[in-house]
Amino acid sequence: MDIDNDLKREVAELINWETTLLDRREWDDWIELFAEDAVYWVPSWADEEQTVSDPETQLNLMYFRNRGGIEDRVFRIESRDSYASLPLDRTVHIVSNILVSGVEGDEVSATANCLVHSFGKHGGQTRASLYDFKFRNTGSGLKILLKKITLIDDKLEGPVDIYHL
Amino acid sequence: MDGSFQKSGLGSLVDDRVDEGVFRVDRSVYTDQGIFEAEIERIFEKGWVYLCHESQVPEANCYFATDVGRHPVVVVRQKDDSLAAFINVCSHRGALLTPKKQGKAATLTCRFHGWSYSCDGRCVRIKNEKEGFGEDGFDRSQYDLNPIAKLANYRGFVFGSLVEEVEPIEKYLGAAATWIDLMVEQSPEGLEVVPGNSTYVIRGNWKMQLENSVDGYHVSTVHRVFASTVRNREERESLQGLKQTEGGRLVGIVPSGAYDLGNGHMSIWAQHTTPERRPIFKKKEWLEENLPAAHVEWILEKGRNLALFPNVMLMDNPSTQIRYVKPISADRAEVTVYCIAPVGEDAEARAARLRKFEDFYLTAGMATSDDMAALEDTMAGSWASHAQWNDFNRGISTMTHGPDEGAKAVGFDPVSSSESWENETLFFGFYRRWRDMMSASD
Repeated sequence: MDIDNDLKREVAELINWETTLLDRREWDDWIELFAEDAVYWVPSWADEEQTVSDPETQLNLMYFRNRGGIEDRVFRIESRDSYASLPLDRTVHIVSNILVSGVEGDEVSATANCLVHSFGKHGGQTRASLYDFKFRNTGSGLKILLKKITLIDDKLEGPVDIYHL
Repeated sequence: MDGSFQKSGLGSLVDDRVDEGVFRVDRSVYTDQGIFEAEIERIFEKGWVYLCHESQVPEANCYFATDVGRHPVVVVRQKDDSLAAFINVCSHRGALLTPKKQGKAATLTCRFHGWSYSCDGRCVRIKNEKEGFGEDGFDRSQYDLNPIAKLANYRGFVFGSLVEEVEPIEKYLGAAATWIDLMVEQSPEGLEVVPGNSTYVIRGNWKMQLENSVDGYHVSTVHRVFASTVRNREERESLQGLKQTEGGRLVGIVPSGAYDLGNGHMSIWAQHTTPERRPIFKKKEWLEENLPAAHVEWILEKGRNLALFPNVMLMDNPSTQIRYVKPISADRAEVTVYCIAPVGEDAEARAARLRKFEDFYLTAGMATSDDMAALEDTMAGSWASHAQWNDFNRGISTMTHGPDEGAKAVGFDPVSSSESWENETLFFGFYRRWRDMMSASD
């Protein structure tokens, strides 16, 4: 498929911006990147080789059917009342392999890889994820419609929150 | 790490003077690697432990791999639908037999030298047998897999023991059996483990995970933020019915209780102020038609956590969970969580059950993550040998010996009952069982 270079650039910019806002803890700006009906999905692993495939009927690590799910997470972080979120782990996201995989009407799909290094009271750790994005082209820019994070690590040490993903 | 328990004796680690108002446990039980190794030998390898749920081996030749102490063990569904369990190790050179945690295979074939075993554990093929062992008189059966000594299926929950000398499963479960019944009898078609699971590492002692699961006292501090988060969500999104969270237990004083169920088993409950928000509430009429009223009340209105000594917890609270703990070292354990649900549950209730599970119960959730952080801080503090004692005295003067009215209503007989889930009297039974098994002579 011939995908417009401006669109490719816009998608890459948005994905890089999204993870940058997480690392910089600009929570409100981060939430604004998502459409109100955006789905945020972190599947669990059904076995060693496959994640679950149907988030409605199977167990996920996170599955938010709308943007309210990430708003809950930010509410909890900002409350300073969450044991696991005080002190907050420091994170750096390194995103690569950004590819726009399809355009259908006003929807744009893209994939990327991400390494997240985090540091907390038990030291540093690095986890890796596959990203699957969908965006809605609103005319005045892209909004995130889906962020699916396939966290390839299992036997997770320590909490996993939105800023680790 | 210094093995000091061997010098001072295990009895001194549990300061059991309930008549004097004292029950304390030496914090070296969490930190001492010598104690840990003794626990593996004397508790995990000398008594009943939880293995799996029967729905994880749904048909013949299905297997589920787990561990009993240091022994890899595999549970295999037989052709006649019964269950068998073997040391999951090739008789030849000791390689693990199952390629995956869970699967289905007509034979268990070692991937190292190709020896094969049927699902009943018989060694059925040795690669190039004649060339290596001769034509005549070779008895392959000497290489059959080692079955574990005891295997029992209590209403779908499968337990095993490496040694013969254990009490019958019903006696081991004792009063805790009723708590399993209260989960199982909700579904005429049985329970099933829902696809998907999560394993997380706790940087803490395995006993801390058992303690946390039946510690009602932390809820109104550690989970205060969970309550405020879901309350904020419900106002923001005007949620109704099953999409709301049963928050009463998290914030306020609701009726609650704690039981020392005997044999190290423990349980707590708290009243649901809004039972209509629970997935099971949709089956209220069926429950009322088919179960005694007291059981229906316990099922619908009392959120329940059960810790079975030594390695599994069964929760029926915001959602329903099997939480399995595998000890790794004194200061490390692996926890695997599964959602268990009624077979044939309607789609709305199932989705609500899963979303409530994800909300609360995972290391990526909004409550278990906080539990883990608290637990890991407790581990960090336990190394301070100059602050020696863990205090479990809360409720010591008000507990009831034997059953309270709630226990009598559904017919279980605990060692003691406490009228608040904030009380810590249930831990007496856990640490008495621990002490007795650790002190038993061989």
